[in-house]
Amino acid sequence: MAALRNKSDQEIKDLLNEYGIKHGPLVDTTRPLYEKKLKEAMAKAKVPVTKPSPDRTFYREDQEEVTYVTYQTPVRSEGPSGDGKPYMRSRPEYSERDRVDDKPYSRSRPEYSERDRVDDKPYSRSRPEYSERDRVDDKPYSRSRPEYSERDRVDDKLYSRSRPEYSSGRPYVDEPHVYNTLSSSSYSKPTPVVKSGGGVVKKENTTSSGRLIPLWIQFLVFLILAGFLYFIFTNMESAESSPFNRIQ
Amino acid sequence: MSSTSQKHKEFVAEPMGEKLVNALAGIGEVLGKRLEEKGFDKAYVVLGQFLVLKKDEELFRDWLKDTCGANVKQQGDCYGCLREWCDSFLLFQFVLCQRKTYQHGPFI
Repeated sequence: MAALRNKSDQEIKDLLNEYGIKHGPLVDTTRPLYEKKLKEAMAKAKVPVTKPSPDRTFYREDQEEVTYVTYQTPVRSEGPSGDGKPYMRSRPEYSERDRVDDKPYSRSRPEYSERDRVDDKPYSRSRPEYSERDRVDDKPYSRSRPEYSERDRVDDKLYSRSRPEYSSGRPYVDEPHVYNTLSSSSYSKPTPVVKSGGGVVKKENTTSSGRLIPLWIQFLVFLILAGFLYFIFTNMESAESSPFNRIQ
Repeated sequence: MSSTSQKHKEFVAEPMGEKLVNALAGIGEVLGKRLEEKGFDKAYVVLGQFLVLKKDEELFRDWLKDTCGANVKQQGDCYGCLREWCDSFLLFQFVLCQRKTYQHGPFI
C-alpha cells in the first residue's frame, strides 16, 4: 500500500474514518503515524477479526464514569469534613480510594475528586473543595450534638489522644490540593485502630474529629462573648431621657 | 500507577517553559537525542504533538514508539507526565491570558 503516501490529506482522513480510527488533525508530524495505522487496519481487515474491545473499553469507561459519580459524592461529602462520621466508613472509602488510585489517566476530567497525583489539578479541584468546606462549616453543629454527648461520656484521656488526630487534621485543612496523599495518610491512621474492634469505633468517632479547638471550648467562648455583649447592651446609657434638652 | 518518579513530580510542578525534552518523565538521554534529531528539541514541541494527537493515550504512545522507540513504560511515563501537566497548567495559561486584560484590577 505504498499508494498511501501519495494520497491527499483528505483521503487519508476519509480512510481513517472508514476504519473507525480515532485521529486528530493531519499534520506532517502525525501523517506517518496515521499511515502506519491505516496499513495495520487494512492488513487486519483482510483477516476477519471481530474487535469489540474498543467498544467494550469505551462502554466500560462509561460505566465506570457513572459509578465514579455515585461513589464520589458520599466520599466527598464525608471525606474532607474531618470530623466524626468519616471514620466509621473509613474502610470502604479507603478501598474506593485505592480504586481511584489505579486509574488516574484514563479519566481525569470527571475525576474532579481527590487523586494521588500529587499536584494534579489544583485549580479545577480547589473550587469544589472549598464549597465542600463551606458545607462542612455549616454542619458541625448539627453533627456536634451526638459527638458532644459522646464526648461527655468519654473521659479526658481521649482528649489527650485526640491531639495527634488534630495534628493530622491540620495539614489536611491547610493544603486542600494535596488532598489525596494526606487523606490517605490520615486514613491510614485510623484504619489500624478501627480494625481492632467495634467497641473502639465509638471512641474513634470522638477522637477522630479534626477540630483544632474542642467543641465545648468553642461553645464556652461563644457564650462568654454573647454574655459580654448582652452586658454591654443592658448597661448602655439608657436613652429614656430624651436627648433633646429643653433650654429654659 | 500510584508511584510517580521524581522527574515526573518536578515536571508537573511548574510551567515547562524552555525545558528540554530530557525533562519529560520517561525520556532519558537516548530517547531525548532521537527526539531532538526529529526536530522535537524542546518539551513544548512534544507537548504540541501531544495536543495535536488530542491528548489521546493510544495515539501518543504509538507516536512516541515510532518516533524514538520508547518502550511501554517510557511511553506511559511520558504520557502521564504530559497529561498531568496539561490538567494543571493548560487551562491556567488560558486564564492567565485573560487576566492580562485586567491589569489594573477588575473594579476600575
